[in-house]
Amino acid sequence: MEDCTLKNIWHAQDEKLDRSLKINLLILESIQTQKAKSKLGSLATFKTWAVILGILFVLFCGLLLYGNQLKNIFFTVSIAMIMLFSIYAVVVYIKHIVLLKQLDYSAPITYTQKKLDGLQASTISSTGILMLQLPFHSTWFWSWQMINGNGTKFWLIAVPATIAFAIIGIWLYKNISEKNMHKKWIRRLFNAGPEYKNVVQARKFLTELEEFKKD
Amino acid sequence: MSERQHHEELLKEINVHKAILYKICNVYCKNESDREDLAQEIVYQLLRSYQNFTPQYKFSTWMYRVALNVAISFYRKTRTAGSVIRLMEITTEVEDKGDNTVELEKNINRLQQFITELKELDKALMILYLEEKNYKEISEILGITETNVATRISRVKEKLKQRFLTTNN
Repeated sequence: MEDCTLKNIWHAQDEKLDRSLKINLLILESIQTQKAKSKLGSLATFKTWAVILGILFVLFCGLLLYGNQLKNIFFTVSIAMIMLFSIYAVVVYIKHIVLLKQLDYSAPITYTQKKLDGLQASTISSTGILMLQLPFHSTWFWSWQMINGNGTKFWLIAVPATIAFAIIGIWLYKNISEKNMHKKWIRRLFNAGPEYKNVVQARKFLTELEEFKKD
Repeated sequence: MSERQHHEELLKEINVHKAILYKICNVYCKNESDREDLAQEIVYQLLRSYQNFTPQYKFSTWMYRVALNVAISFYRKTRTAGSVIRLMEITTEVEDKGDNTVELEKNINRLQQFITELKELDKALMILYLEEKNYKEISEILGITETNVATRISRVKEKLKQRFLTTNN
């Protein structure tokens, strides 16, 4: 088969494709009247809501700390750590929103797609870091009174629970990575969030991108 | 120039180059509703990016960049695993036509299907090649070197020809 045959076949479809004209004119009209919404923009909207909720949560933690006035050191340290992790998440998400807003679809394809991959990689790594806050969710209610008064219960229930949370947190931190995204458990864990659904796909694409640039 | 005038000017250009959009949508989407969605998304992003358009590049080069970037991103966002274009879906009009037309339509459908089966960046590369873009322009659109473009085109072309041969035998 000759090269020109491939091209001839390709150009022969022009007439067939012209039949889509009606549909596309309607699309043009709807975009002009701003009735249409961008699907690719929905991720930025999702992250914006997450930032708003994050800021509210940070403020709530701040209020709790202010109310406690260092009366309970366990409560203060736990809430402060949870607050720090939340601030980190808010900062990362704001960074992502800026990146998404600045994303230039008119730049060369390999450049834009690499940026999108970077964004997804950052989402995964920041999720791993956020898992490290798990043990602090099981220590905020500790008190000296609890340790001294219910010694056995405290050492048999509260401490092992916190150690378990710490182990799970560290394990998740180490295992939530792009290279593990093909695993079943991690897919199940992330399928709930809209931004993770195509991470495995993105990883495959990144490999393809690297191969593409290498040749 | 007002925003409205910008939009109208762009929409005129889109109308002139509409075949580009249709072909990209056909290659990157398996069904009509996805194609409509993708066309809408591409036009939306063209409108959004038009303020950055500079005459440094040809309009068609700029449009290819936006359209292919959106198509690849859109694919990554919406695709479900294992989905490929179904031949029956795009051959419904073949039945009542003359032998030559039937053969031609079959070949169009085959070529579309074979391109659909390629990797995402190879799809883009092949569309640009078949649209008679030169290596320099393809390298500007994709962001790779001209040598790289030449090497990959020859590989992908070979793959397509092989697919045609295997299907015909």
